[in-house]
Amino acid sequence: MRGKTVEDNWLSQSRSQENPALKSAILKQRQKLSKLGKVSSKILIPLFAGVLFFILWEVQFFHTIFGLKTYQLPLPSVIMEAIRENLNTLVNFMGYTFLEAFLGMLLGSALGYLIALIGSAYPKWGKGGLTIVVAFNAVPIVALGPIMNLWFGNGISSRVAIITVITMATMAVNAHKGMSNVNPLSLDLLHSYAANKVQVFRYLRIANSLPYVFTALKINATASMIGAIVGEFFYASKGLGYLLSNSIKVAQMPLGWACIVIASVVGIVFYLIVEVLEKVFMKWHQSERT
Amino acid sequence: MNLQGLLKRSAPTLVWLIGLLIIWQISSWFLLNVLQVPLAQSKLPYIHELVFTFTEYSGTLLYQASITMKSAIIGFAVGTFVGILLAIFMSSSKWIEQLAFPYLVASQMIPILGLAPIVYGIVRDDGVSRIIIAAFMTFFPVVLNTLRGLRSAEPSAVELMHSYAAKPWAVYWKLRFPQSLPSLFTGLKIAAPLSVTGAILVELMGATEGIGVIMLRNLYYGSSHAYMFWLTVIVGALLGFLSYLVISLVERLVTPWQPEFRKSGGDE
Repeated sequence: MRGKTVEDNWLSQSRSQENPALKSAILKQRQKLSKLGKVSSKILIPLFAGVLFFILWEVQFFHTIFGLKTYQLPLPSVIMEAIRENLNTLVNFMGYTFLEAFLGMLLGSALGYLIALIGSAYPKWGKGGLTIVVAFNAVPIVALGPIMNLWFGNGISSRVAIITVITMATMAVNAHKGMSNVNPLSLDLLHSYAANKVQVFRYLRIANSLPYVFTALKINATASMIGAIVGEFFYASKGLGYLLSNSIKVAQMPLGWACIVIASVVGIVFYLIVEVLEKVFMKWHQSERT
Repeated sequence: MNLQGLLKRSAPTLVWLIGLLIIWQISSWFLLNVLQVPLAQSKLPYIHELVFTFTEYSGTLLYQASITMKSAIIGFAVGTFVGILLAIFMSSSKWIEQLAFPYLVASQMIPILGLAPIVYGIVRDDGVSRIIIAAFMTFFPVVLNTLRGLRSAEPSAVELMHSYAAKPWAVYWKLRFPQSLPSLFTGLKIAAPLSVTGAILVELMGATEGIGVIMLRNLYYGSSHAYMFWLTVIVGALLGFLSYLVISLVERLVTPWQPEFRKSGGDE
């Protein structure tokens, strides 16, 4: 497993625990020390930079550098004002967009896991099928939008379908990696117990796939929000993406930025929810033990 | 890597692909003649019609695709360059890392593609905003992955370099940079299709040229242009897939020592 955990777990480097091989005892020790000693600098420095950034933005520092007008890049205070004024609409649309993202992600992840199960149960043909699924991963979301719109109409289902396709691919690839990246010793042990295929899956492969599944879920949480918003850009009559592209068209930049702010907050919360779930379900895993 | 082995390995994929195409063709016929749904050919066109239309309009399609690809590639290159640079800065200075890292992680949780209309609104120039968006989409996965790679050098190897009194740039060039290549490529493989997506998205918002523009145009013309519309979608999808394949190929050439490329090894 060393050095090549999930290919796609690029989201997880924030939590270095997830790369069990890369850190030795030394690193862990250092982490502990830094947790105690440098916690202030770890929070204060970025916080300070963030505040500085917003102040510079507010006093139009960026506007002078890049030669922008305030109607092109609205000030933070104006954006906050726009959020306050349109809070009802924004919250309403936020719920709609999140519902799309959530449903699509649930459906896509379930399908993806199923594909991974089948793919690792019948490796010879499954791998070929998986390659096709990976190809879906590279398809631009915007290309899917119009087709799903033709199939499922303007309603919520077309966005759910887009998100399903995107999230399915990520989950299939990751879960398949998790199911095939099992410890050979454990596999030998199960074989020595004369375990059959179903039992190998039940006791070893599925459990082993869990960390990878959560990595995929975290990627999917973000991807599903992107899919929902981009899907709404063109064909929706509701939702954050619709409001965003519409406000840009009528040159209401503050409202457009307000949509982005709200969407980002939803994205972060969605991500954090998945992360909490991961902590709850993976208590047994070494990366979560201290 | 002989030809026969390659054929043997890719046989299941080919069978799947052909199977899918057959299912496509049958369902298209089914929709058109049995169910007789309205707009059947817009929903799922015959493949042979698509091929006909493609041979007829291949010049236009390829030209527009090349325009899209060009801005995606420029953006991708800019994003990669800036991303690697920042990752090197971050790995060399604790201070910069602490400053930027939380924001990089947060950037993974927000829908960046949603910024496309805003960037377009600011720049109001489709060429530039295509490149900016493509660069933006590339930037974040590249920084995070490169940083992880630069950090993943084994402590004992670093100590060895120190004991040889190696200069910092030597440590980077000889140890950290090669070590970071696998995860850099992981990032690039994520970023390449994203940059194409970003470029197409900006085109859909209002550019004058590019595959996204004719996609939108043919969609509005209605069912008579269904084949052309489907072709633009397929070309867009192929561009994304192609970018992924190219990066994978480069990865194989640059880092042939990775376990998954060895004859035995990888995750089987």
